[in-house]
Amino acid sequence: MQIMKNRRFWWWGSTLVLAGLVMVVTGYLMTSPPPERTSGVNVSAALGGGDHAGYQRAERPRPFQFPADHGPHPEFRNEWWYVTGNLADADGRRFGYQLTLFRIALAPTPPEMDSAWRTNQVYMGHFALTDVADQQHHAFERFSRAVLGLAGAQAAPFRVWLEDWELAGPESGADGLFPLRIRAREGEIAVDLTLTAAKPMVLQGDRGLSQKSAEPGNASYYYSYTRLPTQGTVQIGPRHFTVSGASWLDREWSTSALGPEQSGWDWFALHLDDGRDVMFYRLRHTDGGMHSFSKGVLVAADGQARLLRWDEVELQPLDHWTSPHTGDRYPIRWRLRVPAEHLDLTVTAKLADQEMRLTVRYWEGAVSVAGRDGDRAIDGRGYLEMTRYEPGAATR
Amino acid sequence: MTPLIWRALLRHPLRHPWQLGLAILGIALGVAVVLAVDLANASARQSFALAMDRVTGQATHRISGGARGVPETVYAALRLERGLRQAGPVLTGYLPHADQKGQLLQILGVDPFAEGPFREPAADLTGSDFNLTAFLLEPDTALLPETLGEQVTLRRGEQHFTLRRAGTLEGPELDGLIITDLATAQTLLGRPGLLSHIDLILPEGPAGERLAAELRDWLPADLRLEIPAERDRATVDLSAAFSLNLTAMSLLALMVGMFLIYNAITFSVVQRRALLGMLRALGVSRRELFVGVLGEALLLGVVGTALGVLLGIWLGSGLVHLVTRTINDLYYVLSVREFFITPGSLAKGVGLGLLATLAAAWLPAREAADAPPGAVLSRAHLETRWRAALPRLIAAGGLLLGAGGLVLGFSHDLISGFIGLFLLLLGCALLTPPAVVGLVRLNQPLAHRLGLLARMASRDVVRHLSRTGVAVTALMIAFSATVGVGVMVDSFRGGVAIWISDFLNADLYLAPPSLEDGGRAEAIAPEALAILRGTSGVAAVSTYQGVNIDLAGRPVTLIAADLAPAAQAGYHLIDGDPESAWRQFQSGEAVLISEPLAYRQRLRVGDTLELPTDRGPRRFPVVGVFLDYGSEHGRVLLHRAGHARYWEVATVGSAAVFATPGEDLTALRERLQERLGPVQPLLIRSNRDIQALTMAIFDRTFTITHVLRLLAILVAVVGVLSALLALQLERAREFAMLRAVGMTAGQIGGVVSLQTGFMGAAAGLLALPTGTLLAAMLIFVIHRRAFGWSLPFQVDPVLLLETVVLAVVAALLAGLYPIWRMARARPAEALRTE
Repeated sequence: MQIMKNRRFWWWGSTLVLAGLVMVVTGYLMTSPPPERTSGVNVSAALGGGDHAGYQRAERPRPFQFPADHGPHPEFRNEWWYVTGNLADADGRRFGYQLTLFRIALAPTPPEMDSAWRTNQVYMGHFALTDVADQQHHAFERFSRAVLGLAGAQAAPFRVWLEDWELAGPESGADGLFPLRIRAREGEIAVDLTLTAAKPMVLQGDRGLSQKSAEPGNASYYYSYTRLPTQGTVQIGPRHFTVSGASWLDREWSTSALGPEQSGWDWFALHLDDGRDVMFYRLRHTDGGMHSFSKGVLVAADGQARLLRWDEVELQPLDHWTSPHTGDRYPIRWRLRVPAEHLDLTVTAKLADQEMRLTVRYWEGAVSVAGRDGDRAIDGRGYLEMTRYEPGAATR
Repeated sequence: MTPLIWRALLRHPLRHPWQLGLAILGIALGVAVVLAVDLANASARQSFALAMDRVTGQATHRISGGARGVPETVYAALRLERGLRQAGPVLTGYLPHADQKGQLLQILGVDPFAEGPFREPAADLTGSDFNLTAFLLEPDTALLPETLGEQVTLRRGEQHFTLRRAGTLEGPELDGLIITDLATAQTLLGRPGLLSHIDLILPEGPAGERLAAELRDWLPADLRLEIPAERDRATVDLSAAFSLNLTAMSLLALMVGMFLIYNAITFSVVQRRALLGMLRALGVSRRELFVGVLGEALLLGVVGTALGVLLGIWLGSGLVHLVTRTINDLYYVLSVREFFITPGSLAKGVGLGLLATLAAAWLPAREAADAPPGAVLSRAHLETRWRAALPRLIAAGGLLLGAGGLVLGFSHDLISGFIGLFLLLLGCALLTPPAVVGLVRLNQPLAHRLGLLARMASRDVVRHLSRTGVAVTALMIAFSATVGVGVMVDSFRGGVAIWISDFLNADLYLAPPSLEDGGRAEAIAPEALAILRGTSGVAAVSTYQGVNIDLAGRPVTLIAADLAPAAQAGYHLIDGDPESAWRQFQSGEAVLISEPLAYRQRLRVGDTLELPTDRGPRRFPVVGVFLDYGSEHGRVLLHRAGHARYWEVATVGSAAVFATPGEDLTALRERLQERLGPVQPLLIRSNRDIQALTMAIFDRTFTITHVLRLLAILVAVVGVLSALLALQLERAREFAMLRAVGMTAGQIGGVVSLQTGFMGAAAGLLALPTGTLLAAMLIFVIHRRAFGWSLPFQVDPVLLLETVVLAVVAALLAGLYPIWRMARARPAEALRTE
């Protein structure tokens, strides 16, 4: 509290301070106990949904241009750089990690810059680390507007950052992404990883256009790097672990996606031991079934990819876990079958509670895979994302 | 103890409802005043705390800058380089409401994405009409308090800004607050690239301290890391002083209330000596009797306290407006619309009421228990004991005075000041009964000349010292409180009036016509200054620029001034030789400081004062200390040339004009207005306008003391009424006897009136030295320690005379009912009751 508001007639204003005998009451502010903290602004309410007018939309396949397309597309409402991976140290101690940086446009066009703080571009970051041995799941979130270098994205040299959470490519490189350095720290939970690409980029859907529901434009531009050998360190509290493993990078931007009849989705990204990668997302119909816009991709060990249509994949929840924190009930063990490929996999959460209790609530975590390819036993690991499992939502 | 004893004991008060009522009223008033003051304080405090909490939030530390503010790049670096997550940028300032003259609204610019951990309001907004997108993107949106309607227009200089509602701030304590996005605040306040401060939450313990130390090293030289508590320590000290002032007054009321209670209980015991003796004879033990009398008192205490609590709540809800009105006059930022009844205050009131009753009843209960069984002890015995106790009273009183003097002499803090003050007062109270006896003796020659009745009246006072002594003491304390506070306020007012008339010795004062702050008011344009100097009729011009700086945790105002010689004469130096002081001041390398600053930092002429300049800290020699009631935190006067040398901003915030002798001020004012109009319209005020405004605000501030004075008098009058009533009723038989031997009702009325008048006069007279002592203590000890101000000691004879007259009138009024009853009593009946 400033003592004098009136700097004009300072002599006059200051005599007011005389009367400040009374004003000193304000000083008692230190004596009252702080009120209960609640969470801050409900940012997500403002960040999601609304009118699409003015934004670009993903209506038809487009030629991708790199490295430019690794960078931001501010004319679309949403965009993300989504990295997940399974890691282990030399003793076999296993970890899962997720670092996602979301770009969100509050308006289709930038506002008039009356201040360096004024922008329509906002970044949200989610960082999670699963410590399988200790059965711990650490999840963090942050927000920032893209001003003053606090957050942003650029194609060349490639860099996406939200303060000290960062995905950064080399200063110069072939396609500008790899080796990709991923750094994130929240208190004493941190990862510092270097990713290289074992397979080329895969364009999802129809040449990179991933239609999510019937309305034209309810689609995203979507490409992935499905297998990224990973080296680095993980810190949990005072302990540092030297780890290696494999990661998965999804790049996606869109303005709108789900239709009104879609209630949520389940997204699988699996690395199989035989070198194949399976991605499949199930869009759930409000009537409980799988929506026909669900799809996936199967990437062979040599990098050859083929689209998985919704009716090629059978998904069946086997076990559920009800979050004691939120009451949401998530399937944490699944049977995933691709009959045409003779794949019959059981996907099991490495830890039941990998619920992301952040501004946006979902379940995302490391999973292990076991099953058969025809007669051959096969296993693997991966990541699973499940959204909208609040009680009462039409799900299965 | 059997119910029978209880019934026997309680029969008496029930048969004398007047005494009962007055005793209860005495307790109730005492409790009510204490509680009301406490509640008013607590409510104001709580409202402000709530509001502050929402404005300053939960920060443990804060980074703030010197005069210009904190560059926003420091904030970005804090997050990016230091990885500090719990950091919130804030830009705050004040803008006047364009449609409501004089109303200032606080703009609080925040980054909603960084706000989470810090402030409450944003959290309240979810789900209401909050529109984050508009809030962030549109520069004409803000979170407005409910009372401002859908939109509000603010003014900065000649620019108008209309803000639309993008969300509603709930809670009456946020009435003067507008929350905007940081970008909007920078635009509104005209401070691009700047923050007022950065709020931080650092961990507690060694880790936090280590981090704080690292940050201090890391920060640019002109920025500071401070703890908000440290920053506000000054205000906390002062608020303690202020509330102690009020609490002291309410405790005076309770002290008077205690005398009342003591009086009522003693009286009820003495009147029932026969009964008590009988009970003892019937086998009631001392202990039982003691407990019985105490229990009875407690019962009175409970009823009185309960009444007092109700009365206190009612009174407090009125007082809270007095306490806060001045704040609102000054700030327009917050309004206390809610009256908080805090359990702490209630407990204090209840505890004081009951404890005071028990303490007051202790002696009478002991006395009752000591009554020899079977003996119908006479009042005479009690009075003899009282008179015998006079030397002891004198000794105890003297001891207390001595102790009080020692405490005052050997301490420097405010609390000890108050303790010393109360010891002195208590000493004076104990000395009152002996003083009454002394006055009676002095009065004897006069009484002799006036005849039998006058002699009777004056001797009666001494004869009934156990009654009269307490009554006079209560009255004396109450009136000395009013004298003390009255003299203090008068002295204060006098000092301020003289100071301000000396200080504002220029003819006209000019400043830009905007009230906005944010630390930087609009400046007077150099061209306007040139016009000012070139206008005919202007003999000399002084210029000023005030900047808030932080010295040892207190916001001190640094004034960069270019003073005309006449303006220098307005400063009354209490330390330092004016001639050399002003000569050295002109060099810009030396400063003059105000008295509170000198007192607090123990600075004298010849010492140096370190100021945080824009070129790093620098020590300036102190060449003079000037009298100044303008700021309790202190002010530093530095020549403009020196300021320009060490600070980057060199603007002029205001100017003072000395007219050539004989110049018509109205004409000059108009001329200036006309010439300045096209360049920069300035607000021009005469020194008289400002003086009048200052004194009006002063008087408004002290309204509450007047109210408390009246309350103290009320308590005293009730006290005298009950004491006299008790005394005279007790003497019903005596008066009946006098009637029986031939005195008329009128003569007896005369005796009683003389007696009460004498008591009133005694109390009034004794209140004069005690009150003067109290005033001296308030002025020389309490104010000095709380504010660092030395005030002139001015005793207004009218106030003193008023006090004596008021005391006599109050006493005479209090005697009316007993006289009326006495006159109506049938002597035969009164005699028969024995």
